[in-house]
Amino acid sequence: MRVAVADDSVLLREGLSRLLQEAGFDVVGLAGDGDELLELVQRTGPDVAIIDIRMPPTHTDEGLRAARVIRERWPAIGLLVLSQHVNARYALELLSAGTDGVGYLLKERVSDLSELSASVNQVGRGGSVLDPAVVAELVGRRRQAGSPLEHLTERELEVLALMAEGRSNHAIAERLVVTDHTIEKHVKNIFGSLRLPQSPDDHRRVLAVIAYLNGRE
Amino acid sequence: MAWSDPEFAPESPPVRTRLWVVAGAGAAACVGAMWLAAHQPAYRPTEPDAALTLVVGASLLGCGLASWRARPENRLGPVMVVTGFAWFAGLLSVASVPWVYTLGSGIQYLWLLGIVYVLLSFPSGRLSRRTGRLMLAGTVLLVLTQVAAMLYGNKAGLRCAGCPTNVIQVFHDNQKAQNWLNLQRMIGAVFETSVIVLLVRRWWRASPAHRHAIAPVVIAGCATLAALVWTVTFDLLGDPLGALPAEIWFYTTATVPVAVAYVMLQRRLARGMVAGLVVELGEPHASTDLREALARALGDPSLQLAFWLPAERGYVDADGLPVTLPEDDVERRSTIVARDGEPIAALLHDPVLEHNAELVQSVCAAASLALENERLQAELRARLADLQASRARLVDATDTERRRIERDLHDGTQQRLVSIAMSLGLLQSKLPDQAEARPIVAETREALALALAELRELTHGINPPLLAERGLAAALDELCRRAGLPTRLALEIDRRLPDRIETAAYFVASEALTNAAKHSHGNEVQVLARDHGRTLTIDVADDGIGGATAAGGSGLRGLADRVEALGGSFTVSSPPGRGTTIRAEIPCA
Repeated sequence: MRVAVADDSVLLREGLSRLLQEAGFDVVGLAGDGDELLELVQRTGPDVAIIDIRMPPTHTDEGLRAARVIRERWPAIGLLVLSQHVNARYALELLSAGTDGVGYLLKERVSDLSELSASVNQVGRGGSVLDPAVVAELVGRRRQAGSPLEHLTERELEVLALMAEGRSNHAIAERLVVTDHTIEKHVKNIFGSLRLPQSPDDHRRVLAVIAYLNGRE
Repeated sequence: MAWSDPEFAPESPPVRTRLWVVAGAGAAACVGAMWLAAHQPAYRPTEPDAALTLVVGASLLGCGLASWRARPENRLGPVMVVTGFAWFAGLLSVASVPWVYTLGSGIQYLWLLGIVYVLLSFPSGRLSRRTGRLMLAGTVLLVLTQVAAMLYGNKAGLRCAGCPTNVIQVFHDNQKAQNWLNLQRMIGAVFETSVIVLLVRRWWRASPAHRHAIAPVVIAGCATLAALVWTVTFDLLGDPLGALPAEIWFYTTATVPVAVAYVMLQRRLARGMVAGLVVELGEPHASTDLREALARALGDPSLQLAFWLPAERGYVDADGLPVTLPEDDVERRSTIVARDGEPIAALLHDPVLEHNAELVQSVCAAASLALENERLQAELRARLADLQASRARLVDATDTERRRIERDLHDGTQQRLVSIAMSLGLLQSKLPDQAEARPIVAETREALALALAELRELTHGINPPLLAERGLAAALDELCRRAGLPTRLALEIDRRLPDRIETAAYFVASEALTNAAKHSHGNEVQVLARDHGRTLTIDVADDGIGGATAAGGSGLRGLADRVEALGGSFTVSSPPGRGTTIRAEIPCA
């Protein structure tokens, strides 16, 4: 899989490049800001672009903007946005335009080779990835008394969080060391309790779940 | 103008003596004129009677003397006195001795020039170049036409069949004499009309204070000249109304010197104003606007006050803002009020008040205590404005410093730690599955993840990225979602506000929510943020046990300081058992 990397810190983009190569990805080029990234993407046409949110010149959310442009011009390219902050709002903004091939991770998350490899592959294949810290924040938010979330069991909340992270039923089953069938039952229960329409598609349900968690549905 | 204006030098003895001599001569002229008038032959039906003639002359002499005494430096007093003598000299034309009659006839209109001079030069007593030329032309034409008529005509030719013989008659052509007289009447009418136009134009262009000062003279002058034009017109038409028009202008002419003297003597009237001012300023409960009171006393609605700040060696207005005194400005003048050699204040006023310097001086003296008082207040306000600005600068400096620290942590420490995490990840992938070092690397990575999480919390607290990037509304929304207690947010903000205001508002809400979660024992918090256009209000209300105070060492005191530094207000209402409401109002216009 061919990957482009954009980060204004030389230290981090070199480090990331080494990790990616170690994990067997083909790093097509490195960029220091949004414009360089767009130029790089146009030139090399990677499968996935890994983008730091905060880059020059304004050091705010250039990465998000660059991601939006790439999504518009080259919808097939997977986008993995990296941040040093747990910023649920940015994550939701990123996902709100469609969760296919989109991911949002904390920077340090990608230091784990297997995690990096799984996330890049998932995004590259059109799946979505949401950092557990962001999901934890969404799930952990205080709600008005009487929220349907209060009716979920501990296990169901666990499954809900993993769904929000973008994991498939099979991946969740592996993670929790249970059968796929058990997970399917949990998912059915959760959707019933939250009165969400059942979605056969692992990808699309991410948006439904996080939108619900964000209280905007 | 300064304090020691030479205009106010005490009357010197020679001046007084001179005035007495002139007054004596004037009285003699009055008596002489009365004698002449009493022996006037009854063959001049169009001339007003002796008493009226006397009234006009006495008015000119008396008012001239009074003005001269009040304003020795001003030429108007002497000019009016001379005009009075000229008026009586014109009466020589009713004498029965031929050469006296001839002389009187020759100079009988010189008094009119005096009146016109007074009107045109009022209030300074000096003519401009243009009015000077008009005066000269009028004088020459009126005297020349009179002499020309007298060179040709005699008795009936000069419209006075019963008069004594004209001793300077050279040619004998009564018709020509009549023509010269008619020409003289016409020139007179034009001359008088142009003076009216000049006066009206001057009135039109004058500042309110100037109008106030010249009103009596302009009205009396215009009335007199208009009556004169009327009289001359009827004279040309053969006096169909008899003596009536002449009587009217005699009356109006008598009012001109009275009007001039009234204005010149206003310093006496002004003393009454000053006394009123003293009483007004002395009222114990008076909420007197000093500027209003002074403007009223001086008759200058445009008056401005400037107060001296010794430390800055400059002037400020009542709000403490710097003021520059006008120098060589045609429109404005300034008068400095001093005490013990140190300036207190300056009055910025209309130039016309220069002609009434003593009034300005009296008013300044009467108001100096009140001015000193206002000066102290203006000084205080200037200091407060400085202080407020310096507090705001401190807040700005703190904000800048906070952003710098956050940026340094983000670009330095955080990046380095992430890079170490990546190296560790790489190291872990290279270790054989059974390596002894594996658990140690895993442990180190966990510790590093913890350190990064803590650092993230820290930088987020120092400078919430969402606040800078998406503004107050988004940051408050996020804040309330993350709050320790269930929080309802009502947002009425749909624009970005200046950084310092957004930051202050954000930290008020953040600290209040933290306090509510820690100390209130409540179940719910309501946050209301509303942009009213000129102010931004933030209310944070919980339903807890109350009893919070901003006085203690809590973070509330720091927030109050921050909000007040922006000119806002910060209140904590926390009755025991009834929850805590924190309210911040921050100006944001």
